[in-house]
Amino acid sequence: MAVQDSPRVNREEVLDMINHVLETLAETIEDGAFPEIGYYGSSKKNVRYLPEDGYVPLNERPSFIDGRKVESAKTIASLVYGLTRFKEHLTQGMSMSLRDFYYMHKVKHVQDVLKISDQSETNRLVNLCERILRIRGESVPREEFGVVSSPKGTFYGDVTLSDLSGKRINCSQAGEYGWFISSRPFDVVIHEMNIDAALLVEKEAMARNLIELGLAEELRVGIGALFGQPGRNMRAWAHRLADEGVPVLVLVDMSPWSLRIFTTIKANSIELANIRGLATPGARLLGLTTDDFWSKDGMLAGIEHSLERMTKSDILCAQQNKKIPAISQDPVLRRENERLLKEQRKGELEAFKAFGLPVRELRKLYIRYIREKARRLDVKLL
Amino acid sequence: MQAARHAPLTDVVELSVSAWFYRNRTIAGFDNPARSLYVSVRELVENSLDACEDAGVLPDITVDLERVSPKRANNRIESEPQVFRLRVQDNGIGIPRDVIPRLIGKMLSGTKFTLRQSRGTFGLGGSLALLHGQVTTQQPVEVVTGTAGATEGTRVVMRLDIEKNEPVVIEEERTIKSPDEHGTAIAFYLEGDWLRSKRKIVEYFAQTSIIVPYASLTFRAPDGRTYTYPRVFHSLPRPPREMRPHPRGIDVETLKSMVTNTRKKTLLSFMTSSFQRVGKTTASGLLRYAGFDPEMPPSQLTDEDLVGLMRAMASYNGFMIPSSDSLSPAGEELLKAGLQRLNPDFVAVSQRAPSVHEGHPFIVEVGVAYGGQLEPGMRLYRFANRIPLLYDEGSDVSTRVIRELNLKNYGLRPDDPLAFLVHICSTRVPYKTVGKEYIGDVDAVRREIQLGLMACLRRIGESVRRKHRAQRQRKREDRLLRYYTFMACILSDATGRPVSTTRLFGGA
Repeated sequence: MAVQDSPRVNREEVLDMINHVLETLAETIEDGAFPEIGYYGSSKKNVRYLPEDGYVPLNERPSFIDGRKVESAKTIASLVYGLTRFKEHLTQGMSMSLRDFYYMHKVKHVQDVLKISDQSETNRLVNLCERILRIRGESVPREEFGVVSSPKGTFYGDVTLSDLSGKRINCSQAGEYGWFISSRPFDVVIHEMNIDAALLVEKEAMARNLIELGLAEELRVGIGALFGQPGRNMRAWAHRLADEGVPVLVLVDMSPWSLRIFTTIKANSIELANIRGLATPGARLLGLTTDDFWSKDGMLAGIEHSLERMTKSDILCAQQNKKIPAISQDPVLRRENERLLKEQRKGELEAFKAFGLPVRELRKLYIRYIREKARRLDVKLL
Repeated sequence: MQAARHAPLTDVVELSVSAWFYRNRTIAGFDNPARSLYVSVRELVENSLDACEDAGVLPDITVDLERVSPKRANNRIESEPQVFRLRVQDNGIGIPRDVIPRLIGKMLSGTKFTLRQSRGTFGLGGSLALLHGQVTTQQPVEVVTGTAGATEGTRVVMRLDIEKNEPVVIEEERTIKSPDEHGTAIAFYLEGDWLRSKRKIVEYFAQTSIIVPYASLTFRAPDGRTYTYPRVFHSLPRPPREMRPHPRGIDVETLKSMVTNTRKKTLLSFMTSSFQRVGKTTASGLLRYAGFDPEMPPSQLTDEDLVGLMRAMASYNGFMIPSSDSLSPAGEELLKAGLQRLNPDFVAVSQRAPSVHEGHPFIVEVGVAYGGQLEPGMRLYRFANRIPLLYDEGSDVSTRVIRELNLKNYGLRPDDPLAFLVHICSTRVPYKTVGKEYIGDVDAVRREIQLGLMACLRRIGESVRRKHRAQRQRKREDRLLRYYTFMACILSDATGRPVSTTRLFGGA
């Protein structure tokens, strides 16, 4: 069962939806009834993992906010206030960050009533708005009502595009790491794409080395730096690249945490399953894999000695991974996780440096490693 | 050694009762000027309360404590004791002229082989206070008294001859008064330390007003402040009845005196007439148990026989428990009225059934007050035979019981505004020390206090829970109203039409 991406919503539709919600609430209160708002929460029961789509919402068990309860009334009051803020920003063509939204609750008369003490409260509210505002049966991503994340992640390579700035940019000429990925990748216009694959790297140091060594040009690949756990914009960008027919390869540490990073790109997350366009089911794990170190023909077997012992939290993470559907139901990832638990050692991307090779030789090793591993994944690079 | 053994008889001084007691006055608490001042006030107030209660009148007591020696301007600490004039006036029955000197100026003026609950143990405190005053200031005592119905009262100025334990009247006059007036006013001078005793004296009046809410108390302090506790309860507790002693609570010396004074011809009739709860069957059983002939004349009992009989009485199991008629518990209504002086939100009191310790009956009464004007934290008010106990709280059995209470079980916390009241009345209060300031950890007493307080806490806990429920409900309604008012305001702006919560909250 493949879930098709629905056509994106436009600003007018979102404004109409916000107005509709506000009108309904006003009428309910005027009628002397306490409002009740239904939505689909992010519990495991409302989400299913499909290998070909990642996490998809089932929307079988609705939750309700009952306005007769004090805490629920506070949520609805916050929601009403938030929606009016979104409406105003949308009307003015302005965006806001989650932090901005938090500070909007520090307006004196709002603070006096809602007493918001922590940004996590307003973050939850934004998440709730995404679930309550539904158009054509799907949640409206917060970016559509103006709440955008700070951009996280970069992309380098011969891709020419126009982002929200309207400027025409080539990602290999846009800065040290390339182009700072837009907070709204789905609105980016791609003009030209001269890459055979996109290589998304967990750590920025490794990504920078690959760029500095000219691997993007040598292998005709785009190099993305995830900066750790990928943000929503990076996930959406990977999805966008895959939509454009570019194979997405992911290079992460060999650790239980990095398996989670990879699955976030591949399958999105249970929490954000309601937001479509954040999963790239075709993404493939290029490395580092357990076979690199522990199989006879492993390309990194020579530096097996550099592996470090897993800490208690690493082991706990690996044990919990067994309950994460995107890992436990994926044969490759499940095997990786089991092997890690068995060996209780982990490897980092920086391990390449343990070969002690001169830069020229190290470059060759990187090229050989990426090319060979991509070949094994049926991605042919120059 | 030799010299000591054959000391000449002229070196041996025979002390009168007054002289002996004065030399050993620390037993009664006269050990320093601060304590002496506090004890003097206390003893005279208690004498007055006793006088009123004995007469069956609601006490109306006024105490004036006036500094006589001038206050030293440059001595802020006032380390030296000063002279005060203490005047205590009550509305008791008054004292007939003939007995004034003997009653006021002589110690140990009578004993009887009966028991009943009373505030003092020896009845000496008041006299010792007067004696302390006379010794420290060399000033006489002035007594003004009058009885109901008489048109004349008496004013007597007197002093006590310590060596002879005899009163000496210096001045005496008849005073004109209304037949309705009755009572006694005693005024005397004494050395004391107000600065160091102020806290205790003021606290004494505050606590006394709790345990005797049927009294009207006025205390005019040397610093010009007047502490007034009007009467809030309008009947006296049932007075205690004079009872014969219970065989379990007797010592050999008392037994010997009783045997000496009895007119009964046989041991059997002596037992039944001298002790409470001892009828013919019980007496026969005891004498059989002790190995005495019931027909034996008491006068033939030797000292050894007396010790044997005493031991048999201590170990014999056939006695009924002592009667509680000799006790005068405050009663639940009175305790409630007393605790209301603290202006709490809730009060619960409990009077336990009479119980026995070493042959003496006792009744424990407890109360718990919560909230209102009480300060946060636990406060304990201890009373014994309607006297506040102000010293050594940490060692008292009540403190131990309270420390062991698990307030969480009652939905309460140690920092809640809580006041505990414990009153024990007995013909012999089980004080731990001669200072008589705290009750010993006696199992029977501890159990009664514990059960009483637990019962009170259950009721207080329920009231507090009810109050919290109501508060939570009110708070919930306030918050709902605030959120919906806010929502209505925002929605009015957003939709461009007025949105009201009137129908939602029914006009709120």
